[in-house]
Amino acid sequence: MREWLRTHRWESILAVILVGTIVVNVVMSPVYLGTGNIVNLFWLSIEKIIVVLVMTFVIINGEIDLSVASIMGFAAAVFATAFDAGAPAWLAILVALGSGAFAGLVQGLVVARLGLPSLVVTLAGLIGFRGAARVLLEDRSITGFPEWFTDLGQQTLLGPLPFGLILFVVGLVLSWILLERSVIGRKIYVIGNNAEVARYSGIDVPRLKLRLFITSGVVSALAGLMFAARLGSVRGSLAEFFELDIITMVLLGGVSIFGGSGTIVGVALAIFTVLNIRNGMGLANVDGIIQTGVVGSLLIGSVLVPNLVEKFRSRRPAPPPDAGQAAGSDREVPTVSPA
Amino acid sequence: MTGHIRWTRLVTLLMALALVAAACGGDDDAADTTTAPDTTAPAETTAAPDTTMADETTAAPDTTAATDTTAGGGETVTISAAGSITATFLPKCTNIPVFPQANQGAEEAATELGSDPAAFVGPADCGDATGQIEFMTNAVTQGVDALMVSNNAGDELAPSAESAAGAGIPVVTWDSPIPSAAGESVFVAQVDFDETGKVMADMALSILGEDGGQFAILSATPEAANQNAWIAAMEEVLQGDAYANLELVDTVYGNDVAEDSVNQALALVDSHPDLELIMAPTTVGIVAAAQAMTQEGLCDQVKVSGLGLPDEMRQYTLSGCAPEFALWSFVDLGYLAYYVAYGLATEQIEAAEGQSFVAGRMGEYTIEADPTRDAGLRVLMGPFTVYNADNVG
Repeated sequence: MREWLRTHRWESILAVILVGTIVVNVVMSPVYLGTGNIVNLFWLSIEKIIVVLVMTFVIINGEIDLSVASIMGFAAAVFATAFDAGAPAWLAILVALGSGAFAGLVQGLVVARLGLPSLVVTLAGLIGFRGAARVLLEDRSITGFPEWFTDLGQQTLLGPLPFGLILFVVGLVLSWILLERSVIGRKIYVIGNNAEVARYSGIDVPRLKLRLFITSGVVSALAGLMFAARLGSVRGSLAEFFELDIITMVLLGGVSIFGGSGTIVGVALAIFTVLNIRNGMGLANVDGIIQTGVVGSLLIGSVLVPNLVEKFRSRRPAPPPDAGQAAGSDREVPTVSPA
Repeated sequence: MTGHIRWTRLVTLLMALALVAAACGGDDDAADTTTAPDTTAPAETTAAPDTTMADETTAAPDTTAATDTTAGGGETVTISAAGSITATFLPKCTNIPVFPQANQGAEEAATELGSDPAAFVGPADCGDATGQIEFMTNAVTQGVDALMVSNNAGDELAPSAESAAGAGIPVVTWDSPIPSAAGESVFVAQVDFDETGKVMADMALSILGEDGGQFAILSATPEAANQNAWIAAMEEVLQGDAYANLELVDTVYGNDVAEDSVNQALALVDSHPDLELIMAPTTVGIVAAAQAMTQEGLCDQVKVSGLGLPDEMRQYTLSGCAPEFALWSFVDLGYLAYYVAYGLATEQIEAAEGQSFVAGRMGEYTIEADPTRDAGLRVLMGPFTVYNADNVG
C-alpha cells in the first residue's frame, strides 16, 4: 500500500480530491446520493467518458487524436443520412461504425506510415470530418429513429443502468486489463516512452499505432451513435468541441501529454472527479460559466502547476545531499530548498 | 465558430487561474449559491405544492381535450400568493442581455407571489445547443416545483422535458418552445410567430421600398426553434403580391455569438454584391450586423433590420444604418412565464385550452392551442413595438 502510494502520487491526490468532492456534495445536497442522480451523473457525459478511455491509450502511446468529436459527429451524420435514405437502422449503424473505422484508418496510415505528427493529422481530421458531417446534413436535423434505438440512449436497460453506463464499465475493466496486464499495454508504454527503443527491440510500431487510430475511430463513431440515440436526433454540430473535455479528463488523470506514463486508474479517478464536481455544482445551481471555469482551473492545477514547480526547482541550486531525502521518493527531486 | 469557442476557453482558463489565485473568494461564492436553494428545498418539498402535484402534469396532456369545453367557459383565475415554490429559470445561455432581463421579470413576479426567486442557471455559451439537457436533468433531480426554459435546441430537449413531466414538474417554455411539445405544459410566446414573420417582412418592405431588392437573413443557431419558425413565417408572408420585389437570397447562422455573427454578416456582403438589407431576427445578430456595416462604411449600401434591443440599437437607428427594428419586452416575458409556472405548480390553473387567468400587472390571458405548431398549448403575450428614429429614444 505504502509502495503504491509512493509510485502513484497523482492518483492518491486525485482520490483525496474525489473523496472531498463527494463529501461536499453529500453535505450540500440531499438528493446527491440518490440512485437516479448517480446514474445521471455518468449518463449526462457517457459519450465523452467512453472516448476518454480510448484517448488514454492514444496519449500514452505518445500520440494525440484531436478528431474524436468530429468523428462522433461524422459517424452520426452518416448514420442519419443512411437512415433517412431508407436503410434499416441496423445497417445504418454498421455503415456508421465502418465510417469511423475508415476515418481512423486514414489518419492512422498518415501518422504511422508517413510519420507525420498526429497533432497535425488529427487537427486536419477535426476540421475535415466536421466539415463532412455538415455537408451531409447541412442545416437539417434528422429524427424519427426506431424506438429501440432511442431507447438505448434514453431508457434504462438493466435495473437502473442504461446501456451506455454498462458499456462504460465493461470498457473500463477491459482498458485496465489491456493497459496494465497485457503485452499490448506494455508495448504501448514502451513506444510512448521512446519509439526508437521500441523499434530496436522489435516492436512493430507503425502497426500498433495504426490499430490504435482505427480503434479510436470506431469507439468515437460508437459514442456518436450513442449521443444520437440519447438526443433522438442528429445534426451536423453533434458533439462539437467534445475533444477538449475528453483530453482534459485524460490529462487530469495524470497521463503525460508526451506519452509513456499514466494509468487507467488515474484516468478513472479523473473522470469520477470531474463528473462529481460538475454534478455537485449543477445541483447547487452554479452557473455554466463558473462550472467551466472550475473544471479549467482543475486542468491548470494538474498540468501547469506541477510543470512550473518542476521548472522553478531545476533552476535553483541542488540542495545539499544530506537534506534527509534518503527516505524520500525515488521519482522526485528533493524538495527542501536552501532558501 | 471554432475561433470563438477556443477564445472563450482561453479566457475561461485565465479566469480559472484567477479563481485559483483567490481560492478562498472563489470557494465562498460557490458556497453561497449552494446554500440558498438547498436549505429551502427539503422544507419546501414537504409543503403544499408537492403532494398535490403528482398527478397534475401527467394528467394535463390528456385532459386537454376533455376539459376543452368546461375550461373554455370557466371563470378567470387570478393567480395569487400560495406559498413559496422552488423553480429553475433556464435561458438559452446566460451571456446574452435579454436573458438576465427575462430573469429580472421572473424575480419581480416571484417577489409579488411571495416565493423565493427561481434559480437562474444555464449554459455559458449559446453555441452549446445541447448544454441545457444537463441543467434540465439536474432540476428534475433537485425536485423543483416548476421548470421554465427557453429551448435552444429542437426536440433534443424533449426527453428531459418528458422526464420532468413524468416527475410531476410543470415545464413552461418561454421565448422558444419544444417543437413537438413533448413534455411541455405550456409555451409562453412573446408574440405570435406568424406575426413576427409579417412584422419582419413589413420592415423589409418599408426599408427596401416598392422597388424591392435583395436581402438576406442572419439567424442564431440553425437549431433554434423560435428562429426557424419566424423565418418560415416570413417566407410565407413573402409569397404575397405586395412583397413580390423582395428577394430573399440567403440565410446564414451566427450562433448568437457576436464574433461569428459579424463574420457571417461580412460574408453575406461579399457573396451577394447586390445585397441591400440584412434581416437578423436575433438581438445578437442585429447588433453584430449593424456594427459590421458601420465599421466597413457599408451603411449606405446595406441596411440592417430585425429584432433588437433599443439600448443596443439606438446609435445605429439614429445613424440610419438600422432604420427600423422590432422587439417585445423580455422583462414582461419572464414575468408572465413565472406567473404561469407558479399558477401550474400551485394548481391554481391547469395546462388546458381555454384556461383564463390574471397575471399580476400584465392582466388577463388565456391558454390556447398553439396555431404555429402541430401540438402544444400557448399563452400569447404580445405586442410588438417597432422602433425607428422617432421612438428609439
